[in-house]
Formats: sequence, structure tokens, C-alpha cells
Amino acid sequence: MIKHIARKEFTDVVRDGRFRWCAALVGALLLVSLGHGWVQARQAQGELAAAQATAREHWESQGEKNPHSAAHYGIYAFKPRLALSFVDAGVDPYTGTSVWLEAHRQNDFLMRPAQDATAAQRIGALTAAHVLQHLVPLLIILLTFGALAGEREQGTLRQLLATGVGRSDLALGKALGIAGALALLLVPAAVVGAAALVVGSPGPAASPLARAAVLAGVYLVYFAAFVGLSLAVSAQAGSARTALVALLAVWVVNGLVAPRAAVDLSRWIHPTPSAVEFARTLEREMATGVEGIERPDQAATAARLMAQHGVERVEDLPLNDVGVYLQESEEFGNRIFDRNYGALWDTFERQGLVHEALAVAAPLLAVRTLSMGLAGTDVEQHRHFATAAEAYRRDLMRQMNGDLTENSRSGDFSYTAGPDLWAQVPPLRYDAPTLGWVLNNRLLSLLVLGLWLAAAVLAAAAGARRAEVA
Amino acid sequence: MLLRTVLRNERRLLAADPALRIALVVFAALFVYALANGMVWDRFQARTVEAARSGNAERVRGLAQELTDIANGAQPSSPFRDPRAPIVLGGARGAHTAVLEPGPLAALAVGQSDLLPYYYDVSIYTNESSFQQNGEVENPLNLMVGRFDLAFVTVYLLPLLVLALSFNVLSEEREQGTLALTLSQPVSARGVVGAKLAFRALLVVGLAAGVSLLGILATGGFTEAGRVLLWCAAVSLYALFWFALAAWVNSLRRSSAWNATVLVGAWLVLVVVLPAAINIAAGLLHPLPSRVEMITAQREASNDAVNRRSELLARYLEDHPEMASGVVPDEPGMAALTWAATDAVNGRLEEVTAVHDARRAEQLALIRRYRFLTPALLAQGVLVDAAGTGDARFAHFQSQVRDFAERWRQFFVPAILADERMTAAVLPGVPSFRFVDEQPADVARRAAVPLLVLGGLVVLVSVGAGVALGRVRGAA
Repeated sequence: MIKHIARKEFTDVVRDGRFRWCAALVGALLLVSLGHGWVQARQAQGELAAAQATAREHWESQGEKNPHSAAHYGIYAFKPRLALSFVDAGVDPYTGTSVWLEAHRQNDFLMRPAQDATAAQRIGALTAAHVLQHLVPLLIILLTFGALAGEREQGTLRQLLATGVGRSDLALGKALGIAGALALLLVPAAVVGAAALVVGSPGPAASPLARAAVLAGVYLVYFAAFVGLSLAVSAQAGSARTALVALLAVWVVNGLVAPRAAVDLSRWIHPTPSAVEFARTLEREMATGVEGIERPDQAATAARLMAQHGVERVEDLPLNDVGVYLQESEEFGNRIFDRNYGALWDTFERQGLVHEALAVAAPLLAVRTLSMGLAGTDVEQHRHFATAAEAYRRDLMRQMNGDLTENSRSGDFSYTAGPDLWAQVPPLRYDAPTLGWVLNNRLLSLLVLGLWLAAAVLAAAAGARRAEVA
Repeated sequence: MLLRTVLRNERRLLAADPALRIALVVFAALFVYALANGMVWDRFQARTVEAARSGNAERVRGLAQELTDIANGAQPSSPFRDPRAPIVLGGARGAHTAVLEPGPLAALAVGQSDLLPYYYDVSIYTNESSFQQNGEVENPLNLMVGRFDLAFVTVYLLPLLVLALSFNVLSEEREQGTLALTLSQPVSARGVVGAKLAFRALLVVGLAAGVSLLGILATGGFTEAGRVLLWCAAVSLYALFWFALAAWVNSLRRSSAWNATVLVGAWLVLVVVLPAAINIAAGLLHPLPSRVEMITAQREASNDAVNRRSELLARYLEDHPEMASGVVPDEPGMAALTWAATDAVNGRLEEVTAVHDARRAEQLALIRRYRFLTPALLAQGVLVDAAGTGDARFAHFQSQVRDFAERWRQFFVPAILADERMTAAVLPGVPSFRFVDEQPADVARRAAVPLLVLGGLVVLVSVGAGVALGRVRGAA
């Protein structure tokens, strides 16, 4: 019986001219955004990889110089585009693409692509993720609002129930029919997306296919929740029109109001410092140190080394005291940076939690968080790369200071190292976090999305059970 | 007389309809929340600007003290931080923070102000890459989603209120059977719909403009009447566009349900789908050039410059005789050599940036044309521009900072080349930045065409509705 109902619903929907038009529009937008995202991500990744290679070349070919000069010269790191970023660009346009790794200082990521675009381009970015998060639910609403309310208005609900079909079977059948119609749209898009991933993955990612599979699953759950919710409203609403209005209101709150309301709310609850404030604090702490993090003193370092080696003059040390001091001040700086940047990143993550928590009012927030996480384009994975780049910087500085310490003597300012030392520094290699890491970070969203699905299924079942026949 | 009766009747009907009361209250709450967000942001920026200003004053005080101490025999903490050296005083240590005060209507639209920098530290090292810095410290997630400000509520949500109030102004009369009765009076369908919509428009525009004016009043933005007028004009015309559209759909004499579906569809297409589709088209047809290659170019320029400093200095002195009064070219100081290298890097950077910016300007001009495809983008553009948080005011600021950086160099570079020693006496003469706001006429000129088009659309759709309504008879 469920099969019959599903088939009937499917045929109804697919024959409906309105569905065809809307589905064609959404499908076209989905395919175009996927294609565009893929081309763009590949191009960007190509540029970034080339720039990274050039940066390495600059590093290796800097000629003979003092290792500390080389540390000041530093190297640029470019954030790679991960494989699934073509599905969901996430926050990538709003994070910088490159960072200069130099001595003494942790720099910010610069060059945010969004800074180059217009104000208008901010209000309607379109990626495949946007289509899936905003437009597909709209399509679901248009397909579903009349599913039960319409039957009742036409008087066919009474007939249908008179055949002895169970009410929940009826609801399930309707849901399956609608799912079938949606599949006509989504399966080809998923195939295209998967093919794009297999043919030419735009960038490095740990297990892109597993991530893609979970991503698809997340969106399916989101859509299923919407189908259930729409059916529940359709069953309870007095008329098809009321159902439509109520569902559109849900859609507006879910897609437009809640996300933006979350932004300002998160800023009220967890305020961030201004850039001026942040820079000043950093400057002050670097100059004077803070409690528990003392600024090293060059004379004290020299004195300690001389005592250790039992010599009277720095020139007699079997090493260069400046190298030791430079490394000590690097380590001092690192602790200050960790303190300040760490606090900032933590605030960002707490703000992100506000967005996630508000998903109880708007499932879009949960699915968006998961989607960006799986695509590798969320704030946490930006932080992951930033941390990797910073760790690389610290290793680089350690190597330079180590060479200065061991291979030159105190007071020798003419010491130079050459290409051999530069080449010894391994190139920056970045491993994107694993699927487990991502999911582990996103437990709240997974839970809320699961709750939405359960609530929607229960609501649809209850609605169907209680629906008035006429 | 009769129209007044219609108006009075409408007021009673609306007052009696709980759903509409709820809608109005919800919208009033949304407006107030949006305004509160904008005001919080405005105050945050004002505080930051103040901090940057006091930072400038503090820095100058500190340097003056240090210079006086040194003149009295104290030792500078390190030769690289000696403020007597013009390359230090004009460099990062003496840098002046150039700030853009939030616009007078900044509380109404956050616009680009959360993304684009509104302060730069200007020193002799300021060059094109300095303009690549990030703006305010902000969670990228929040930047991506955008703020809940009045501009957002106006562009996205206000049309929904308009549609809820007016999708059935005529169809309902017919469905209730009161249309024939009304039209048997000496009044036309055009007049009735006009009066009903006028009443509702007054309500909606009054609400939107009222909250805006309240916000402007609270943040003291009335000093710029021109911007206030542009803001109100944009809000009114945009709301009127949706009323006109509702009138036209009503004039087609279909059912209320059909009207609602079509109008919501129009909202979806014009506000949600088209702006997104336009961005895809813009990305495909007019891709913005990448900044990545700029980094490489900058790096190569500076590698090159460092190796050829003496040669570069000679060339610099040839090119800039005005900077070189009093230099002894035979033994240029380390600072002069450094400056020559810096200038060469800057020059190369300017070349790279000029190519990039020309290409970007070209693409943006093309992308800006697309806004004429939907009233939502037209209104949004005028709103942020009027609020002074659009791209134009930031570009204006940036060009002034460029000029200021040039003045800064004019002040310090001759001293660097001549290897002069600075004293506390020079500090009062050091250039300082003062932002000169755009001329109101310039803002008006930018907004004129979009507003005219928006107004034209309102007139066009209204006339269409008027003509079609002229054909409505009571029996229809």
C-alpha cells in the first residue's frame, strides 16, 4: 500500500508543471554552482600550490647570509584549498589566504578574497551548499504543503482512509513519493559532485570520499527533517494555504532571520577585542612580559651560559650566546602569542557554539556547521592550518637559531650560512584533519540535527494520526 | 469624502485583525533589534577610533619625552630604536594611525565596515601591500553570514510585511462579496485599492522610516541631511515598489491564494534567487584577479632591491632631486640605502597593484551593472552607500590615506637622505591625518541612477496596476 501511495505522489509531483519549473531552476543552480565551485577551487589551488613552490624556491635561493637574517626573511605559507571546498566555500572568502612566517612574530593571515568583492556580492553568495541549505528546503515545502491539507480540501482524504490504509502508512507513502521526486534532482547532482571529486580533487584532504559520503548523509537528514516537518504542518493546518504560509514563515526564520540573529547574539555574548586593542595588548606583553612569562634578558642569558661552561668571557663560550638568547626570546614570544591568539580563537569557537546552539530553533545552523566542517572550510579548520603554519614557523626559527648557536661563536657577526642549511629545512607539509576529528568537533550539531529528524518524524506521524479527515 | 471613509474603515479593519497586529509587532521588534545591533557596532567603532586617536597622541608624547631625555644626555635603548634617526621616527615607531570615523548613519547599515579596514598605521614603509591588511578583528563565520542590521531587515524582510498587508486588498473584497457593494458607490476600484494601499504604505514606511530616524537621532546623524534623505528615499521607494507590485497582482483579478503565491514567488526570485544567480554569473563572467601572485611579485621585488641598494639610491636621487637637498652622495648612510631599497620595492608593488586594480575595477564595474536586474540589490546598494558603510566611502578613505602617506614621506625622506638628526622640536610639524568626508553631492550622484530606476519601476508598475484596475467592475 505504501508503495502505491508513494508512486501516486511521485507521479503527481513529477507531472506538476510548477514542480518541473522549480526543480529545473534549483537543479540548474545546483549544477552551475557545483561546476563553478569546482573550476574556481582547482584554479585557486593551482595558484596556491605554485605560489607555495615559488616561496620555497625564494627560501632556498636566498644566498649566503646570517641564519638570523634568513629567519627575518622568512617564508610565506599559503592555505591550500581542501578537496570538498568546491561544494561549500564556507568561511574561506573571509579568512586570509597567506601568512608570512618570520622571526619574532606570529602574523595574521592576509588577503581575504571578500575584501576585493563588492558589498552586493556579500548578500547573495551562491555555492552548492547554499542551494542545498536554502533552495532545496523551499522546493520541499512547495512539494509538501498540500500533501495532506490538499487531499482534505479536495475531499479525497476521506476516500483514501476508507480504503483501510493506515494513517502513518499514508504519511510514509507521501514522504517516499516526495523523496523520489527530489531524488530526480539530487541524485544527478550527487553523481556530478562525486565525479568531480574523483576526476580532479582540487586539493589535499584526509579521506575526501568519506567526508563526501558523510556530507551527503547530513544533507539527506536535513531534507528528511524538512519533509517530515512539512508533512506535519500539512496534516495539522486548516487549509493548504495556511500550511504554505506557516511553512514559508519557518523557511524565512530558518534561512534568513536565525543565521543573522545568531551573529549579533554571539557577539553580544562573547565579544571580541578590536584590532587596535588586540595589537596593543600584544605589543605591551611582548615588551614587558606578563606574570609567569618573563621576558628573557640577553645579559642574564650570557651570564648563565658562562657559568655553565665555566668561562669568564662570552668569546670563550663554545657556542654563540646570541643564538641561545634569540631562541629564548622566540619561546617567550610564542607563549605570548599562544596566550593572545589562543584566547581570540577560543572566543571565535565559543561564538561558533552560539550559532550551533541556536540550531535548536533553525536546523540550517546545524547543517551549515556540519557542511563547512566536512568541506574543511570552517573556522576550526582555518585555525588548524594556522596552527600548523605557526608550528612550522617555530621549527624554522629553532633551526636557524640552533645553527647560529652551534656553528658560530659569540661576538662573531660575520658568520653566514648557505644553501645547505636552507635546504635542510623541510618544506611545509600540511595534513588536513581526519573525518573523526571533524565529527568529534561537531557533536553538538550532529546531535541537534538528529533531534530535528526525530522530532520531524514524530511530528509527521502524530500529525497524520490526528489529522482531521474533512 | 468617500476615500476618507475607506481609509477610516481600513484603520478599523486592521486594528481588529489580530494576525496583522501580530505581524506589525513582530516587525517593530525586528526593526528595534536590528537598530540595537547597529548602534552597538557603531559605538564599538567609535570607541576604537577614539583608542586609535589617543594612541597617536600617546605615541607622540612618548617620543617627545624620549627625544628630550636623549637631548639631556640619556642613551637610546638601541641604535635601531633611536628616535633621532628619521628612518625610526618616520618608521613604525613614530607611525600615525589614520582613522575613518564611522559615517553619520553607520548604525543603520553595517555594510562593509566589518570587513574593510577603517584604520591604517601610516609610516614611511606604507605601501600598496599595507592596504592588504585585515579590517577589524572579526570571526570569519560572522563575516560570512552578515549582520542583522536595518539594511538587512529592509531589503529582505520588509517586502514580506508589505505583501502580508496587501496581497488581498482587492481579491478579499471580491471573495467576501463586498466588492460589488463598494463599487456601487461613486468610487472606482482604482480609488479603493489606492486608498487601502496608501494607508498601508503610510503604516509600513512610517514604521521603517520612524525606526531609522530614531536610530539617526540616537547616534547624532542628522548633521548630514543629504544622507538621511537618501536613506529614507531608498526605504520608501523600495517599500512602494512592493506595494505597487501587490496592486498590480491584485488587478489581475485572481484569487487571494493565487496572489499570495505569485507575490511570494516574486519575492523569492527578486530577493533570494536573483542576487545569488547574479553572483554566480559575476564569478563566471568577471572573475576577480587573484592576490596570490602579488605576494610573489612583492617578494621578488624586494629580493632584487636588497641586492642593488647603492645603484637604486643613485637612481632614486636622480629621479627625486626634490627629496635630496643636502645629501652628500659620496657616502650615503645606511638609512639612505635602506630607503632606496624600500622605495624600489614600493615602486614595483605599485606597478603590480596598478595592473591588478585596473582589472578589478573593470570587473567590478561590470558586476555593478547587474544590480539593475533586481530592486533588492538597487535598494541595498543605496542603503549602504547612504549609511557611509559602502565600498565607495572606504575607497575614498583609502585614497586619502595614500595621499597622507605621500605627505609623510615628503616630510621624512629628505631628512633620511641627508642623514639628519631629529629633535623634539620637529614633532609638532609631523603631518597628521584628518579624514575629509565625501561631498553630499557625490553620494547623491552615485545614488541618483539607482533611485531613479527604482522610482521608475514604482511608477511603471503602479501605472500598469492603475490601468488594469480601471477595468475592474463590481461584477467581476
